[in-house]
Amino acid sequence: MSGIYVHIPFCESKCLYCAFASFAGKNSEQKRYFEKLKQEILSSNFTFKVDSIFIGGGTPSSVDKNFIAEILSAIKSKFEVSDKAEITIEANPNSLDREKLEFYKSIGINRLSIGVQSLDNTVLKKLGRLHNHAQVFDALKEAKRAGFENINCDLLLGLENEKYNFLKKEVKLLKKYVTHFSCYMLQVEENTRLEKMVLDGSVKLPSDEKTIENYAKLTKFLQKNGFFQYEISNFAKKGYKCQHNLNYWRRGNYLGFGLGAHSFMDEKRWANGLTFEDYYKGRKSLEEKLTERQIVEEVIMLGLRCEEGFDKQNLLEKGYDIEKNQNFQELKKLQILFEDGGKIKINPAYYGASNLVIEKLI
Amino acid sequence: MLAPLNKGVMQAPLWFGARLPPKSQTQTAQKSKQNLAPRLILFYKDLLFDLFYAIIITMNRHDKIRNFCIVAHIDHGKSTLADRLIEKTGTLAKRDMQNQLLDSMELEREKGITIKLTPTRMLYNYEGQEYELNLIDTPGHVDFTYEVSRSLAACEGAILIVDASQGVEAQTLANAYLALDNNLEILPVINKIDLPSARPEEVKKEIEDVVGIPAMHAPCISAKDGTNIDQVLEMIVKEFPAPKGDENGKLKCLIFDSYYDNFKGAICLVRVFDGSVKVGDKIKMMQTDKTFDVTEVGIFVPNTKPVDVLRAGDVGYLASSIKTIQDVAVGDTITNALAPCLEALPGYKKVQPVVFCGIFPVDGAKYQELKDALEKLKLNDASLQYEPEVSQALGFGFRCGFLGLLHLEIISERIEREFNLDIITTAPGVYYLVHKTNGEVLKLSNPSSLPSPVEIDYIEEPYVKASIFAPPEYVGAIMELCQDKRGIYKDLTYLEEKRVRVDYKLPLGEIIYDFFDSLKSRTKGYASFDYEMAGFERSDLVRVDILLNGEKCDALSIIVHKDKAYARGRALTEKLKKIIPRQLFEVPIQAAIGNKIIARETVSAMRKDVLAKCYGGDITRKRKLLEKQKEGKKRMRKIGSVEIPSEAFMSILKLDDGDK
Repeated sequence: MSGIYVHIPFCESKCLYCAFASFAGKNSEQKRYFEKLKQEILSSNFTFKVDSIFIGGGTPSSVDKNFIAEILSAIKSKFEVSDKAEITIEANPNSLDREKLEFYKSIGINRLSIGVQSLDNTVLKKLGRLHNHAQVFDALKEAKRAGFENINCDLLLGLENEKYNFLKKEVKLLKKYVTHFSCYMLQVEENTRLEKMVLDGSVKLPSDEKTIENYAKLTKFLQKNGFFQYEISNFAKKGYKCQHNLNYWRRGNYLGFGLGAHSFMDEKRWANGLTFEDYYKGRKSLEEKLTERQIVEEVIMLGLRCEEGFDKQNLLEKGYDIEKNQNFQELKKLQILFEDGGKIKINPAYYGASNLVIEKLI
Repeated sequence: MLAPLNKGVMQAPLWFGARLPPKSQTQTAQKSKQNLAPRLILFYKDLLFDLFYAIIITMNRHDKIRNFCIVAHIDHGKSTLADRLIEKTGTLAKRDMQNQLLDSMELEREKGITIKLTPTRMLYNYEGQEYELNLIDTPGHVDFTYEVSRSLAACEGAILIVDASQGVEAQTLANAYLALDNNLEILPVINKIDLPSARPEEVKKEIEDVVGIPAMHAPCISAKDGTNIDQVLEMIVKEFPAPKGDENGKLKCLIFDSYYDNFKGAICLVRVFDGSVKVGDKIKMMQTDKTFDVTEVGIFVPNTKPVDVLRAGDVGYLASSIKTIQDVAVGDTITNALAPCLEALPGYKKVQPVVFCGIFPVDGAKYQELKDALEKLKLNDASLQYEPEVSQALGFGFRCGFLGLLHLEIISERIEREFNLDIITTAPGVYYLVHKTNGEVLKLSNPSSLPSPVEIDYIEEPYVKASIFAPPEYVGAIMELCQDKRGIYKDLTYLEEKRVRVDYKLPLGEIIYDFFDSLKSRTKGYASFDYEMAGFERSDLVRVDILLNGEKCDALSIIVHKDKAYARGRALTEKLKKIIPRQLFEVPIQAAIGNKIIARETVSAMRKDVLAKCYGGDITRKRKLLEKQKEGKKRMRKIGSVEIPSEAFMSILKLDDGDK
């Protein structure tokens, strides 16, 4: 499998917690940016059959829809895109309307990933999100009407005054519209406005213990409602796993286009520059050829994020015999890890402590 | 930060017992050899001058020499006055002083201790006569009392600095007594009169009342801004006796300090009492009975300057290709091997470490580097002792002995800073005399080597005589603390209206635990404290072991008084609970005496982690975060399956306020 990621670094406003490569108030830059983006796609040195395209950001739904169309056609003219390819666009509820949704559908986009985050208007406002509860459902209804089957909602955990019952209610309200949930924990990143607010006490976040407790309960609730946990943060109805993300975790090839976008081809990872200037000049923010050790680390790290685990034999072929790892044996004995048809998997009860488990194996 | 040791222009600012050699002037002199003619003229001119100088000097040598030191309580201004004297006598230009001052202040601020300098010879013109003033500096901490006493023994006079607002403190008195013991003339000097809170007249009276020496004519100075420094210089000349001694007698020379020079070997800092010594002489160390050939003698101006001969009354240095500092015992007497004196100078003591701890490399692979570091430090520090130690928990390391806690702290910091090694130090302890039922007596400091209780008849632990000075309102708090620390009350003296001296006999083990911090907090920092060793006493001591997940961690064991075992066990388990990170499983932390569990805490299992978005295929970031997390764990030690951070081993010593 191979994928293409396209980064749209524009937002109507910057959310408090955001540390991603995205910019608000840079609309004047858009024309030039999309021009350069097209050039980058068309001049790519790679050719392969594309199984998934992910248009992420930023807020791709906030820019002129014709830019999106141009980018998609550029990809299609340069690469062979499979008929069944999953083509996702990220969107915010407030920037989706009937016309835009129908347009997206018409140009071949078949999956929406909507940044809902929460249905609590107070929290949304505090986080700097521009939408409210009602807009979420307006957008979802319009999406359905436009013919979108495959819809993901991003939800944030660990927000101020979080109550499990409210999370449960959110899922209950959303589940009939969506096929997929991504549940992330709010992370206080350095140099964000959120970090300042946490430090000065104007935002009080729940303890990690509380958040993990809510996460564990929510996980169960989602499964009960037919959303299968196929990765630490991702839940899908049968047949609706996100192919694009699975490709990341399975270490398939992918190309990233646009500011800050990451690529992975033949055990090489690289990323574009993180400012407009760096990106336009073709400067990279990362370039690395993975060492054997790093490859093994990645197989373990990415495999254990997923329900499907990692392949023991595959690792052995890469020169690493995990059976010889003392910690592996210990973790197996503690029933934190288990083996299932040649695959090493993590006990779902320990998803929350996955970093600690992974770290012991690498 | 520790300042680099060789930065000072005047003199390397030095840690006690760990000094770098002063710069040699001979090296610079050798550089200009190109033009011979002018050099010859200069040579004869120098020769004439030297001859003339030699005649003058021999005529009334003794009369024009003053050997003195400066003693004070910590922070009363010892180094500042030393700097000022050096500056005032023109020994160093003001410009060159700057570095010295800055360095010393930086060090002092950090550790709250005074730096010891190598001795300095200053020339001072008084009423048309040139005097040679030799200032011998002394370390200002109780850990180094013996070294201080040997430096004092090299002098005829001592300047006793007292802070004009703080008055007499514990170390003022301890140092004054040391000076009196060595029959020195004491010149009190009231410092810091520039402070608004200065009360010089009261302090003078305090000195008379408490120390018992006349102080009415003590100079009132400000070493900081240079006020009345001339008075001090004048009084050094007038008040301090000139050295006595027979220049033609048999050589009798006191080693009051030493340092190691990579080229010249161990250098003795000496005061000549009788006779003279010159290059080529065969000398003998009277304690070790070893003989050496003198390769260089010289004085400090303040860098080393070779001279032809050191005579009775002189202070200087002596090199004789001595390979190890261990052969240069501070307090030992040097005599001429061919014509030895009959009796050594009094006061020699073999320096014994009193505080011990284990030092281990955080990264077990760096054992050899740690060994090299200790070897290098020992070159300059005869009092540092170490021997290999193996701990189940910490692997290979060393059991080290120190003169006190400060000494321990200095050494461990130097290992980390100068040798760039991360180390784990285990809780400091004292050494015990363990009397076994079979009559054998063990001397041990490592709790894990304590025999089983059935084999022990009784244990003795070291005690100290402690005196604490404080305003009277804190007497209650001080006595309560001393009682709590198993102290034996000795005396209570009202020195004056606002000052009390409390004397206790205390177990040293309690003092190195958290006595200083407790005293400071209970007296709001108003108390000062000094102690001296006072032999061994029988005590009811037990070993408290710590079990993590049921496994004993040898490096966390402590020896403690039976009455305190429960409280310490509880405090320890509570502290460890805070320090040990949550693991994938529950970790019980237990304190036990033998098989009996006396305290228990539990670190609950870890279930939390951040489910961060693996965004846009940025796998690298995720991998790097994990690698970093993994790297951080390298500082952890594994006890069975439990990972514990290095800090845990030190935590035994310091319990924060909430724990008390």
